[in-house]
Amino acid sequence: MPDWKPLVRQRLALLRLSPEREIEIVEELVLHLEAAYEDALAAGWSAAAAEARAVHGYDWRLLECELSRLERPWHPPAQTVEWLERRGGMRMESLWQDLRFGARMLLKQPGFTLIAIVTLALGIGANAAIFSVVNTVLLRPLPFKEPERLVLLRETKLPQFPEFAVSPANFLDWQKQNTSFERLVGMRPVNLNLTGTGDPERLRGLSVTEGMVALLGIQPQLGRGFLPEEHQPGKSNVVLLSHALWQRRFGGDPKIVNQTISLDGQSYTVTGVMPATFHFWERDTELWTPISFTTQQAQNRGGHNLSRVVGQLKPGVTFEQARTEMVTIAGRLAAQYPEVSTGSNVMLMPLLDFTVRRIKPALLVLLAAVAFVLLIACANVANLLLARAAGRQKELAIRTAMGAGRGRVVRQLLTESMLLSLAGGVAGLLLATWGTRLLLALAPPNLPRLSDVSLDGRVLAFTALVTLLTGVIFGLIPAWQATRPNLNETLKDAGRGSTEGGRQFVRNGLVVLEVAAALVLLVGAGLMIKSFWRLQQVDPGFNPDKAMIATVSLPKRKYPEEPQQVAFFQQLLEKVSTLPGVQSAGAITVMPLSDDDFVLGFDIGGRPPLPPGAGQSTNYYSVSADYFKTMGIPLRRGRLFTERDTKDAPHVALINETMAQRIFPNEDPLGKRINFKGGDKPDWYEIVGIVGDVKHYGLAQQTTLQTYEPYTQQTFSTMTLVARTTGDPLALSAAIRNAVLSLDKEQPVSSLRTLDQLVSTSIEQQQFSMLLLGVFAAVAMLLAAVGIYGVLSYAVTQRTHEIGIRMALGAGQREVLRLVVGQGMRLTLLGVATGLVAAFALTRLMAALLFSVSATDPLTFAAIAVLLLLVAFVACWIPARRATQVDPLIALRAE
Amino acid sequence: MEAPAMTNLLDKEIKRGSTEMLILALVEDRPRHGYEIAKLIEERSDGVLQFHVASLYPLLYRLEKRGLIQGRWVEKAGERRRRFYKLTPAGKKVLAEQRQTWADFFGALERVAKIKPA
Repeated sequence: MPDWKPLVRQRLALLRLSPEREIEIVEELVLHLEAAYEDALAAGWSAAAAEARAVHGYDWRLLECELSRLERPWHPPAQTVEWLERRGGMRMESLWQDLRFGARMLLKQPGFTLIAIVTLALGIGANAAIFSVVNTVLLRPLPFKEPERLVLLRETKLPQFPEFAVSPANFLDWQKQNTSFERLVGMRPVNLNLTGTGDPERLRGLSVTEGMVALLGIQPQLGRGFLPEEHQPGKSNVVLLSHALWQRRFGGDPKIVNQTISLDGQSYTVTGVMPATFHFWERDTELWTPISFTTQQAQNRGGHNLSRVVGQLKPGVTFEQARTEMVTIAGRLAAQYPEVSTGSNVMLMPLLDFTVRRIKPALLVLLAAVAFVLLIACANVANLLLARAAGRQKELAIRTAMGAGRGRVVRQLLTESMLLSLAGGVAGLLLATWGTRLLLALAPPNLPRLSDVSLDGRVLAFTALVTLLTGVIFGLIPAWQATRPNLNETLKDAGRGSTEGGRQFVRNGLVVLEVAAALVLLVGAGLMIKSFWRLQQVDPGFNPDKAMIATVSLPKRKYPEEPQQVAFFQQLLEKVSTLPGVQSAGAITVMPLSDDDFVLGFDIGGRPPLPPGAGQSTNYYSVSADYFKTMGIPLRRGRLFTERDTKDAPHVALINETMAQRIFPNEDPLGKRINFKGGDKPDWYEIVGIVGDVKHYGLAQQTTLQTYEPYTQQTFSTMTLVARTTGDPLALSAAIRNAVLSLDKEQPVSSLRTLDQLVSTSIEQQQFSMLLLGVFAAVAMLLAAVGIYGVLSYAVTQRTHEIGIRMALGAGQREVLRLVVGQGMRLTLLGVATGLVAAFALTRLMAALLFSVSATDPLTFAAIAVLLLLVAFVACWIPARRATQVDPLIALRAE
Repeated sequence: MEAPAMTNLLDKEIKRGSTEMLILALVEDRPRHGYEIAKLIEERSDGVLQFHVASLYPLLYRLEKRGLIQGRWVEKAGERRRRFYKLTPAGKKVLAEQRQTWADFFGALERVAKIKPA
């Protein structure tokens, strides 16, 4: 005997009768159907035919309509046969009707709708936010004229140096010999002390060769760019101001052009002010000055000081053509000047690629991660829709029975899912605007182009596309499932036979997918966290606690002689080391981890000079005697510098352990002599000690060869001060500034920060990626847990009857728990296994982001799998507990 | 196109008016349940009059609402409970009135169109 009850009840549900009335009517109608069915059987009809005859008696539309009129006379007259027909989809073809009906269906279940929209908003919002960053940083063209024609050039000297700055002589030869570029512009950073108006200030600037304005196509807002003759020695004391500097220091004075300002003690004539939107290279660049090469500088092939050379391709010349030509030129120059250029070549890269290359791998990994989050969100919503479709199965079957084609019903269901995703998309966009702001607040300031991030048309289009796809992805499965069963089966089965089995299969599949995707994300995040933890464990070679650093740059005009410079720093160190709380103070030319370096080639005394191109080079530092003590760099052998290592005393040097091992593998370096190339005549320094290694280029980087000389013997005008204190280092900043000003009231201090800040700044990009990936992984895990919980809760509801029977037959709580938890954990295990395989394949793509952790680190994989299993277990436990609360009697009666 | 529609409408109205009387008549002598009523109408009319549940039950409910019949759940040992409908005094009155109306109607039909009621 078919079970008619669900069929009738489902139909009447649309009428929303009072429960008591519904029970009566349903019971009566079911009795009628049963009697008709039995009579047909008795008359000799087959079971199927008997069923068909019994159902035949049901004119659903009429019944619904009549009952509606009868039971709910207050209902608006719209509820006619026609209206019901339209609901059934027999005539209605207009999308508008679909939308209205879909919206009504969604509003009927506000809880479901809200959960679905929030889930989708999270997924879509995260995608939109990350994509807006990707869009701005990686996709949006650089804000210059014809940016696609801009190419960056650097020198290379493989295998040691994949790239480095260009020497002036090479640059000039490139300019002269190439036919591919409209123009080549060389540039290097320059820091200048601005004095005269207000507090002295150290400004970040850029020195450029001829043609910057033409190259970038950005005209000054006021005044003009540099004239060709201003790139001649003696005529180059001119300056272009940034809009920000002009506003900040000169109050936006419109008559600033042709006025003079004091930079490094020299007067510079302002030629113009760049527009506020103009940023190039570093965002905080505040002024531009012309580079002028003296005859001697123009012949310098060994000193590489043009950090960037940017070229503008001639119209019609491709990047490849330009590269081929430049490689030929570089080869020719290397052959021409073997003693300095053997092995040298040139590297070309589109300017955009160069600008974003460091951030690109992290962004792509993040983009993939949010896509996973969205996938999981889709699986969750699809699951919700499937559960909901199960409740609506009769409604859909009846619609199909009434003549609505399968396509028609799919369309209706897709309309509903599209409505959901649309709402999710709008909410997601709101989330994205907010999320992007949060992202920017958290992002390290030195990431390129990040401050330009905004939601533009492309982000909107992307979000719309994602929203649309999302709606189709999570809507199609339930729609396909819901319309699959044929009418008779559904009516006969009352929803527990093969169709339900099929649906459960899909639901289970979605859970497996969710768990797998969550695992991939969690493994990715786990690897990042482990990598970051390892990075933080790396000994930088010095003690970053409770120390303050500050850079002082003496203008050459004011302190032209080395003894003056030495005297200044000597007095400053004395002043600072006697400040309250200060234990010791030292100074160095180039601070480790400061994004700056000074590299020199060298010869060792008593060894034959190496053939051209085979020379070694070392990081070079000039330091005060107390530098090592202040930084906490240990002395391994020999002695440190002392006050007695003056200019007139024998010249001495210190090397690091790595250099001792690599350059002096089988001998004692102490007493050996070292000479740096580049001087006119050899200047030999005796190695008197070996100190600990220091990470110069970053915690994740290899330790380089390092050599120190006393600043009293090798003097520089720019030094970075380090002061170690017993208290809060930041409390020292004012005192240090005052100490400098008390020696020279025009002398600015820059880069005042703690040593700790310096270290954390050097790893903040990794920290940022780790943070984002961790957040996405946490969201993914939460969504997956909710998915498992949802599926099991539903399964428990579906199996209440069965569980009731089991308990009636003597199954204890323990067995029921095992039954339900077992079901969930089987799915989870399958998902974890799938996820492990996927993660194994995918994490290799993020190897570039990892430090000291293998992309397939077994410990991380295992730990994440266990974590996910635990979370899944909790998600299983709750519905399982509920299952044990089933009262067998109630469960049985419910049927 | 108008003629068939008119016929249909008339047909509907006659059916609706007459079925009410048919049901009242069937529960006149003793209470009956819905399926029994439908079967009896079909049998006694030799299949000319057929009732779909869709129209039968709403009609029953309407009659009950109007107080012409009264439904009651009856439980018998070994059987599922069924709802039986019996005629109320008000129903009796209406049935008598309707019988008279239909008798007058058929008399008129016969006189005009020479139709003999069965």
